[in-house]
Amino acid sequence: MRFSVVDSIPGSRPKSQWDRESRERLIFLTPAVAYLFLLTVFPFLYSLYLSLYQVKLTRMDRKVFVGFDNYANLLTDSLFLHACLNIGIITGISIVIEIIFGFLAAKIFFALRFSRAGGILRSLSILPMMITPICIGLIFSYILNPTLGIANYLIKGAGLPPPGWLSDQTFALFTISLINSWQWTPFMMLLMLAGLMSIPTEHYEAAEVEGARWWHVARAIEIPAIKSVVLVGVILRVIDNLRFFDIVYVTTRGGPGASTEVVTLFAYKQDYQYFQIGYGSAAAVVILAMSIVITTFAAGYLRRAEGE
Amino acid sequence: MKKILLVASAAAISLAASPGLAQTDWGSILSKHDGEAVNIMSIQDPFIDAVRKMSPQFEALTGAKVTTDGFGYDPLHQKEILACSQKDSQYDVLFIDGIWLGEFADAGCIDPVQDIWSDTDPKIIAWDDYVESFAGQAMWGDKKLCLPVAAYWQMVHYRKDLFDKAGLKPPTTLKETMEDAKFFTNNKDFPGVTGYAMNDQRGAAAGQQYFEWVYSAGGKPWVSNFPGSPAAYADQTPLLNSSESVSIVQFMKDMVAYGPPGVEQFAWDERYNAFAQGNVAMINAWSVQTPGLNDPKISKVAGKWDVAMMPHAEGKESIPPVGGWIMCLNKYSTRKEAAWDFMRWYASPEVHKAAVLAGAPPSRHSAFQDPEVQKAQPWVPTLYEAAKKAWMEGRPRHALTFEMIDAIGLQVNRAIIGEATAQEAMDKANGDVTKLLKDAGYIK
Repeated sequence: MRFSVVDSIPGSRPKSQWDRESRERLIFLTPAVAYLFLLTVFPFLYSLYLSLYQVKLTRMDRKVFVGFDNYANLLTDSLFLHACLNIGIITGISIVIEIIFGFLAAKIFFALRFSRAGGILRSLSILPMMITPICIGLIFSYILNPTLGIANYLIKGAGLPPPGWLSDQTFALFTISLINSWQWTPFMMLLMLAGLMSIPTEHYEAAEVEGARWWHVARAIEIPAIKSVVLVGVILRVIDNLRFFDIVYVTTRGGPGASTEVVTLFAYKQDYQYFQIGYGSAAAVVILAMSIVITTFAAGYLRRAEGE
Repeated sequence: MKKILLVASAAAISLAASPGLAQTDWGSILSKHDGEAVNIMSIQDPFIDAVRKMSPQFEALTGAKVTTDGFGYDPLHQKEILACSQKDSQYDVLFIDGIWLGEFADAGCIDPVQDIWSDTDPKIIAWDDYVESFAGQAMWGDKKLCLPVAAYWQMVHYRKDLFDKAGLKPPTTLKETMEDAKFFTNNKDFPGVTGYAMNDQRGAAAGQQYFEWVYSAGGKPWVSNFPGSPAAYADQTPLLNSSESVSIVQFMKDMVAYGPPGVEQFAWDERYNAFAQGNVAMINAWSVQTPGLNDPKISKVAGKWDVAMMPHAEGKESIPPVGGWIMCLNKYSTRKEAAWDFMRWYASPEVHKAAVLAGAPPSRHSAFQDPEVQKAQPWVPTLYEAAKKAWMEGRPRHALTFEMIDAIGLQVNRAIIGEATAQEAMDKANGDVTKLLKDAGYIK
């Protein structure tokens, strides 16, 4: 009788059993891998392939290989560069507002955590997150309509000059950021509330005994405790903002001028309005690359922060 | 009973028809299509209601089932192009904007109607009865590709009650337009009213507006495109930064001061709603929107307005914009016979007149000249004048139309909001469009 090395290792299984397990694993994994390949990897590879061509969807038979020209053109396309800058600004403004108001809201709901009304209000406060962004865009375009909207009606009623919320290029980007923040502040609030609830009550009791004021409590106890969840929230929101599209599409279409143009809108227009799918694919690949770089950097930062 | 009524109304259409077709026996012309579907993809414009109102009569005649789906402007363009690229046969009849024709022809999405109408009585097709300025938008080169059944032209819509009170006549020149707009803006005798709302929104709205006005300013967007040009696409070298082009963009910018708050973000609907809600004294608008202004459910100015020809620069002529929807046969339809039967029936002069009386825009000379139509739509004489003076190549119609208009619209809007001067913006537009056309091989 012959024994293989593997068979002789204590606790190891016979080769035939390995084969069976491998086959089973393969059978169970194949659908998921095929699904991922078909819906994620293949479209990505195809986009990569298309991005090397000058091609219009209506005439795929006339595609011309241009190498990396589409990428070179993107880097000199003032509209695309402006869109990159805009999405950075929207992300920055939105996240700052979401953190500030999310923290305040979390503090309020933390104080109301034992009351029934607090629970109801908390549930109501997360409703904006549950509305599709396209509806939010429509709702705000009605509210902020310069002639028929209620916002300007109230402002005029108070005797103030109504701003051009979405029509003035100095306001529009900020307005878009505000709408975005309105929708996602509850998300930050939930994360921070979870963080606050994880703080042992003894810390608060000790602070009270020491005579600490609210800002001492916030700075020394609460902010350190919620720092890691806020970082997770920020990373998620940065990634989310890179694909920010619907609200801009509905409210401003990137205007006035290019003041609210964002990268996804740029790619969308190339792909689905002009059907320039080569250039549009190049834009999509660049957006993906930006997402990967930002995510990798942010994840590394998070790991370091957690290690401290 | 319902079917009898529908057949009776189909017969009534025949009786109401133009003399040459008064006795059209549709039963002998159209085939039976019992149970067969005819699916129509269209813009969600007011004329779609007329299509839906007329369809049961076709169903009664042929047994086919007609379904008309309406979409917004951009979604319709996307759906039609994507369906074409996938050789989709779900829809049989496609309403496309006349300015998309070059793109659709280039992509081979439609079967030219000229190739299939040989067995149809020429009186039913009656091509010469279509108003020339829009009929040309259903042609690509010398070929008639679609049926031009839903034509729009632009007129100035003004508040007659306000103009009468002020003792003013509607403006005929750009200078008068600005003076009148200025007069009504912040005028304590006319509270809550501003002068003029234009299509200033970045993109297609501002881009198309440029083309709506440039010819009346004496300009031309590219070298060989001018009213009456025998070969509009012969030399497409852009002239977007010519003095006439820049002056009309400057005019748009100057008019912002006399528009409602936020006019910089106005597109077609906002412009129309501002007028319908009584907030502006004047707009220029497509004729398809005109009937709605007399509907008290959506308009506060019903009975208080009138129309006039589009203004022009001093010493120039009014060249009204023309646009609208042409009815095309989907190349990939699997029910072409039923679809073509519907198309030729709906587009025929007699059914067209009935459709116009049901709310569709007149597209044929016979409809414009019909006393019943003129009585039902009192603005038709002015519209007919606009239709005859319009230039069919007012906007580009080739495969780069969408991009080109968008690129111009971005720069026009930049000028309007003061991000650039009119000259700077149009220099940039000219450069961008030149690159676009060069890359695509339209110019050298």
